[in-house]
Amino acid sequence: MDALLIGTVIKIVLVLAIVAALAGFGTYLERKVLAFMQRRLGPTHVGPFGLLQIVADGIKLFTKEDFIPQNANKFIFMMAPVVTAATAFIALSAVPLFPTFTIPDAIPFIGGAIVPSVIADINVAILFVLGMMGAGLYGPLLAGMAQANKWGIIGAARTAVQFLSYEVVTGLSILAPIMLVGSLSLIDFNNAQTGGIGSWIVWQQPVAFVLFLIAGFAETNRTPFDLLEHEAEVVSGYATEYSGLRWGMFFIGEYANMITIALLASIIFFGGFTPLGFIPGWLAILLKVTFFFFLMLWVRASWPHIRPDQLMWFCWKVLMPIAVINIIITGIVIMI
Amino acid sequence: MFEQIAFYLFSVLTAGLFLVTVLSRNVLYAMSSLAAGMVLISGFFFLLGADFLGVVQLVVYVGAVMALYAFGMMFFDATRDIKENNTSSKVVFLLSGGIAVLLVVIFAAPILGNSIEATYPPQEGLTNPESIGLVLFTKYLVPFEVAALMLLVAMVGGMILAGKKMDQSLTVTDEEMNIPQKDGDK
Amino acid sequence: MMNNEKQKYVMLDLGGTPATPWCSFKQVMKRTFKGELFVGLWVTLREMFKTLFLGGKHTTKYPLEKLPISPRYRAIHDMLRLLESGHYRCIGCGLCEKICISNCIAMETRYDENQRKEVSEYTINFGRCIFCGYCAEVCPELAIVHGARYENASEQRAGFSLFEDMLTPIDKLHLQKEYEGFGAPSVDADAKIKKTPLAY
Repeated sequence: MDALLIGTVIKIVLVLAIVAALAGFGTYLERKVLAFMQRRLGPTHVGPFGLLQIVADGIKLFTKEDFIPQNANKFIFMMAPVVTAATAFIALSAVPLFPTFTIPDAIPFIGGAIVPSVIADINVAILFVLGMMGAGLYGPLLAGMAQANKWGIIGAARTAVQFLSYEVVTGLSILAPIMLVGSLSLIDFNNAQTGGIGSWIVWQQPVAFVLFLIAGFAETNRTPFDLLEHEAEVVSGYATEYSGLRWGMFFIGEYANMITIALLASIIFFGGFTPLGFIPGWLAILLKVTFFFFLMLWVRASWPHIRPDQLMWFCWKVLMPIAVINIIITGIVIMI
Repeated sequence: MFEQIAFYLFSVLTAGLFLVTVLSRNVLYAMSSLAAGMVLISGFFFLLGADFLGVVQLVVYVGAVMALYAFGMMFFDATRDIKENNTSSKVVFLLSGGIAVLLVVIFAAPILGNSIEATYPPQEGLTNPESIGLVLFTKYLVPFEVAALMLLVAMVGGMILAGKKMDQSLTVTDEEMNIPQKDGDK
Repeated sequence: MMNNEKQKYVMLDLGGTPATPWCSFKQVMKRTFKGELFVGLWVTLREMFKTLFLGGKHTTKYPLEKLPISPRYRAIHDMLRLLESGHYRCIGCGLCEKICISNCIAMETRYDENQRKEVSEYTINFGRCIFCGYCAEVCPELAIVHGARYENASEQRAGFSLFEDMLTPIDKLHLQKEYEGFGAPSVDADAKIKKTPLAY
């Protein structure tokens, strides 16, 4: 019991620290990749290859004034970024990050202990992650409504509409793989795809994968669907009045969500952390997650974003029918 | 130990948050405390080992129902307090208090009489979603399907109410609509 | 070569707005499976590859690198010298002071011992100067011209420049270039010419 508790606490601290740091590193990667795709250089001057730009940005965010507008609802205004960051990290708690490993005997006290690389292995992990990411909509929503700013209200309205609609598509698109595997646990998903590349679920469910990816982009507020804070239309949407660390927390939450979606996509559809030929499991999932992260940046550099009415049209008239048809076909195939 | 601490923590927090929902004059406070309370209720399900129900609570109430409420709140100025218009606070107090007492009695009576028993105890070796599915699709199949039908009716009704002007495009003008199509498929 | 090259302007045939639901359905299907989105992805990936490995960066690291400017550019003035004697070209006629529309040139002249006009004081207030180029245009001796120093941000609104500061240093006389002046085409003008769509 105690060992489990201490181990869980250690894992929580590690995941918090590493993912929060990765979120910072993600901004660096995003700036670099976007720059190269637009024939620019990106950050170059602070540190080697501009790597310390993250630190400089962090210092800037920490030392900026924590500004609260006059007519804003102060408590909710201060809470909203915390909600975004917290829900993003809570969602990560049910996602297995690496294969289960054993601590080498050379390390005193804890040598030989078997460590599952998931904070909480609940048997409905997929639903939990989706539910928590769905609860993440309260961050932008409350932020937009609390700040007494019309752009914020528009951003909040778009949050509600976009997240609610695309949650449906995410859920329905994952339903078909769930029917194939017969479990809601992400570890079961991983174990169902141990037979090499050929056993990946993406080959059986390509439509579900595409739908999940599109909906994932919408739920993480990435570019083709970044209507919540699209600066060409609504200044900065729900984040208009935010500055300093509170704004930074929105950012960390967004990047943690991107990592979660990348992890989900690679575990559910791409074999997760099963070893891939000579590549060990931990490296395999790292490569997959990196690819999906890169894909998000790549798409941001390439594609324009769509109008709100097109977004709704796309969700309810295109994606959802396809998802339902996909589920029905999967059901029929399983029955036969 | 932990379960007990967590239970009391969750109960105090849930009760407190719902009190805020009822007593606050501010729409935003009421809404966010209601949402937070819903999250905490899912905590009880997790404590009791009903993971699936907990997650459903999270997805349905927090993710969907409360978000719809929030969407309704957009039409108010959420940063301002509302003036409540109570005709008779005595009646309100009596009614709500009476209902609360009644609910407590309803739920406490079987426990006091030690006559609480699961009609369909969960079978051994089944996970949460599986046992729920088993009960839903055997014993409660008819209510389940009726509920599904009702939801379908509600959905169609909602579509008809919302979609009366759906064939009129907001972006395409009438002149554009009248342009004859070049070989029909452009 | 570049001058005769035809530009690749293409008129896109976007078609009309679909009239019937069936037409719009066909349009959606066509656009979905045409793979245009993947063309976009390919273009950005190609540019990233070029930028990373083939040196296709378009960034000028400004304070460290500077782009060449056109001879027609009007920046901080230069005072030129006569190439043979090294004496400054200004004859003290005062035309630049007269024509200056923002009244930023102030000059005083006197007769020297040879009864020639000599410039005793000459300042330009760059806080007022609008770089219109009239002074250089009116100068009969090509003495005051526009140079290439364009970084003239300063902490004060008024910034005076003295005659001696603008004059070509005597030891750098051999580097002094004749001013090509207004209407002079830029050095790489030929390369920059493109034909408009009307050319074909």
